[in-house]
Amino acid sequence: MNRVVIVPCSGIGKSYGTVAREGAYVVTEDLRPDTTQLVPLSLLVLGDEQARADVSGAQAITIDGCKLACATKMVAESGGTVAHDLAVLDVYRRHRNLKPAGIAELNKGGQRLAQALAEEVATLVDEMTGEVKNA
Amino acid sequence: MSEEMLELTVDKFTFRVPKSLYFNDAGIWVRPEGSVARLGLSDFAQQRSGDMAFAEVKPVGTVLKPGDEFASVETIKVNISLPSPVTGALVEVNTELQDAPELINQDPYGKGWFAVVELTDWANDKVRLLDAEAYYALIQRQAEEELEKQ
Repeated sequence: MNRVVIVPCSGIGKSYGTVAREGAYVVTEDLRPDTTQLVPLSLLVLGDEQARADVSGAQAITIDGCKLACATKMVAESGGTVAHDLAVLDVYRRHRNLKPAGIAELNKGGQRLAQALAEEVATLVDEMTGEVKNA
Repeated sequence: MSEEMLELTVDKFTFRVPKSLYFNDAGIWVRPEGSVARLGLSDFAQQRSGDMAFAEVKPVGTVLKPGDEFASVETIKVNISLPSPVTGALVEVNTELQDAPELINQDPYGKGWFAVVELTDWANDKVRLLDAEAYYALIQRQAEEELEKQ
């Protein structure tokens, strides 16, 4: 099976966006490097051909930092299938003790929230690829 | 039933103010319903505060006077204490907000209501509140001031 494409919010200027981006790094670099592929939202927005080709026809998990849901919209516009769309705010509601703050550098709460988000995404990836692992 | 609204557009934002409601200057709306009043957060206040993460309302039976906290919200930007605009006791709270605080953003004058208060001094409370036109003028000033800061 093709890798699951992970498209996070660009994470520029807002804590919740940064959590989305950091969480995507954790999934694609640490938790599920063999079954996922990170596609930067900024490249999709710029119309980068390789990024659009990676998303087109792929199963994607999007991670949005706010209700504008740019990641989800851009994957759909690029011909990808949004299998799951996560919002950082929803993850925070499940982990109220992990209040994110900071932008260029997240506070401890934000870092732990990014980890929790990454573990949720990893579980979804496993369901999509049929693999069972410990997150 | 649709309510008559005043609409204020500033930059790319539009804020709605129902003509039939009263407001305090913190943006808490009051809808008199006989001997009780329903309370909520205005469209302007919810948009200014950002996406709601959590909302907590004081329990039924809580006795309030104007200025007492009757609820609090945590948004992606700020934590806010909501001051009661009226005197009375809470007789009903919107328990749906615990699981779905986004209702405050989605439907601030409808499903996003916070609580119902049994009014004990409405005649005096009403004098201190803003009607829709006065609240409209207040948020117009506040919105334009924020726009100038940008």
